[in-house]
Amino acid sequence: MTRVLGIVATFVLLTPVTLTAQAPARVTPAVPSKTNTTWRVSRTPDGQPDLQGFWTNTTYTPLERPKNVNKPFFTEAEALELAKKAADNEEAQTEPGTIADVHYDFTQFGLDRSQGAQALNLRTSMIVDPPDGRIPPMTAEGQKRTTERAEAAKRRGAATDAVQNQSLSVRCILMDRDGPPMLPGAYNNNYQIVQTPGYVMILVEMLHQPRIIPLDGRSQLPQNVRQLMGSSRGHWEGDTLVVETTNFTDKTAFQGSSANMRLIERFTRVAEDTIQYQFTVDDPSTWTKPWTAELPMEKTIPPIFEHACHEGNYGLYNTLAGAREEEKKTSK
Amino acid sequence: MRQKLAVTIAAVLLSAVPVWAHHAFSAEFDVNKPIKLQGTLTKWEMINPHSWFHLDVKGPDGNVVSWLVEGGSPNQLIRLGVTKKTLSVGTEFIIEGYQARDGTNKAVGRNFLFADGRRLFLGGSAPGAGGTEGK
Amino acid sequence: MRVVACLLLAATIASAQTPAYKAPRTADGQPNLNGIWQALNEAYWDIEGHGAAPGPVLALGASAAVAPGLGIVEGGPIPYRPEAAVKKKENFDKRLTLDPEIKCYLPGVPRANYMPYPFQIIQTPKYIMMVYTFARAVRTIYMDDHKEAPADSWMGWSNGHWEAETLVVDTTGFNDQTWFDRAGNFHSDELHVVERFTAADKDHLLYEATIEDPKVFTRPWKMSMPLYRRVEKNAEVLEFNCVEFVEDLIYGHLRKGASK
Repeated sequence: MTRVLGIVATFVLLTPVTLTAQAPARVTPAVPSKTNTTWRVSRTPDGQPDLQGFWTNTTYTPLERPKNVNKPFFTEAEALELAKKAADNEEAQTEPGTIADVHYDFTQFGLDRSQGAQALNLRTSMIVDPPDGRIPPMTAEGQKRTTERAEAAKRRGAATDAVQNQSLSVRCILMDRDGPPMLPGAYNNNYQIVQTPGYVMILVEMLHQPRIIPLDGRSQLPQNVRQLMGSSRGHWEGDTLVVETTNFTDKTAFQGSSANMRLIERFTRVAEDTIQYQFTVDDPSTWTKPWTAELPMEKTIPPIFEHACHEGNYGLYNTLAGAREEEKKTSK
Repeated sequence: MRQKLAVTIAAVLLSAVPVWAHHAFSAEFDVNKPIKLQGTLTKWEMINPHSWFHLDVKGPDGNVVSWLVEGGSPNQLIRLGVTKKTLSVGTEFIIEGYQARDGTNKAVGRNFLFADGRRLFLGGSAPGAGGTEGK
Repeated sequence: MRVVACLLLAATIASAQTPAYKAPRTADGQPNLNGIWQALNEAYWDIEGHGAAPGPVLALGASAAVAPGLGIVEGGPIPYRPEAAVKKKENFDKRLTLDPEIKCYLPGVPRANYMPYPFQIIQTPKYIMMVYTFARAVRTIYMDDHKEAPADSWMGWSNGHWEAETLVVDTTGFNDQTWFDRAGNFHSDELHVVERFTAADKDHLLYEATIEDPKVFTRPWKMSMPLYRRVEKNAEVLEFNCVEFVEDLIYGHLRKGASK
């Protein structure tokens, strides 16, 4: 197993930046601070390091390092400049009459990333191992599976032919980024963590998914009990919560993974307002070696409001109904 | 002021809003059917995955027609202090957007404006919001 | 004879002095209600007492027939307003199309508590989470910082506090979309539920709920039932994400080529 401690030691996390919500949105420059070496995580009454609270993993950092970037870290100035440009882009209006314009304006609902808390991350990619910041090559089996999935999707027909042709996200079954691993999407990248003796619970805002992680050392679910979010078991290693998840189905395919993916997540509270979240993907039937990524979770404001996605999914209904109406018109 | 969405190096480097979100909307609403509605609010359904504004719109013939306009998830607004009491029934809006492909009185609201042209929600400056967002 | 009378008297005094059960405490000194719990009754069919009856799907025969139940409603029939009683009957007659459970919609409160599946209470000083099997429904009970519901929801907005041995949960902010059971018992968006969870012994809770909804009922009314601890060592709330199972039911007629 690849040790990533060396990389963790060089992980630089600045004072978290709140990108304020005054229109137009602008980045507040971070006050550089050295890592507070006297800070210690507090403990729950039963001795667990306290991870509780409301957190967001909103970020501008991509999963993989872009092709034209050859270093693992930006300078603070570069990172701030990119964040500022991204905030400006989010503020910019789309061209009327274009496909991109057929959407409500995110900024009016506070849903653009620049209007939420996020920790300024100097990394050029979430992936820290392999060192080039990119997902390792796929195995032949993984490539074959990906091709077969794409062909099966083509055979099913157009996305609007049937509800099952739409993504799990659009169908309000599970958001892609729910995983696990838990990644940020366009908005509402929020989590509530509570801890009680023997359990850590993470409530994922979109789409209101509970993760209850037992800490009592019980074994994973039986092999034939598969879940979209897998079966998670946790334990503490020092001040780090280590969560192992297996028993996935073949419906979620994280970056092309198989149902036999084994995911290790690590949660370490490194500051009052920050949890360092790291995950390792171990799926030998899909990738030639395991790969690891990390991103910070930053404290955010409560509450998490009920995300009753399926119940309110009029958009999906309208999309399918609209497609059938168009067919009627063209067949006349 | 509208600007063209600039394709900068920054945009290439930084993860953009997922493309699927736009595709889903352009499948639901017609880019060739832009509309501008002026009407009064009868209800704001603060639901997910997208909220819905119910409007009474008076046509040129004087008849009142009900429209349903799709907006964003209310969850971040709720964190910023917006509640179901923030927008009162009867508030007058102008909504620019695109009509539903199935031709019904539904639309996606591109811009939500009060009758005087102010944006309805500005994130932290939302009317009735409990102050600017802190950490 | 006198000895028996003395013994009887002693027994009576002893039972009068026996205190009600006191659950073990959490670190913050409250009754510890952590655990996985489940109702064992037929209220999910009909919260009122009812005899056995055919289910609404012929092909499922006896396996989906309505099991008889004593009901969990206290003090007589549910006090519907006259026009609401008409709606209740209509709900029952059309339950196959109208029951939100069938569409995998969030079950609401109190229905979530007596669905025939386990749920877990995760208790901390500031938040008590209740996680249900059906549709992965979640409730956040705010134990301090009580606020009004910012908007309506399926599971409501819950503010909780402790009264000695009892967790009292006050919930408002419901939409009008959920039912109380499969028999069409319903409410409006003015529903107000006050629940009381009290440990009866180490493996049982007493659950009570007072229902108030002036749009639908002529007065508040009450239900009560035990909740049983799932004592298996590996008890777990599993993932019952039922959306996929109902998609053809909801969207099937919109499939390309589907006959109208």
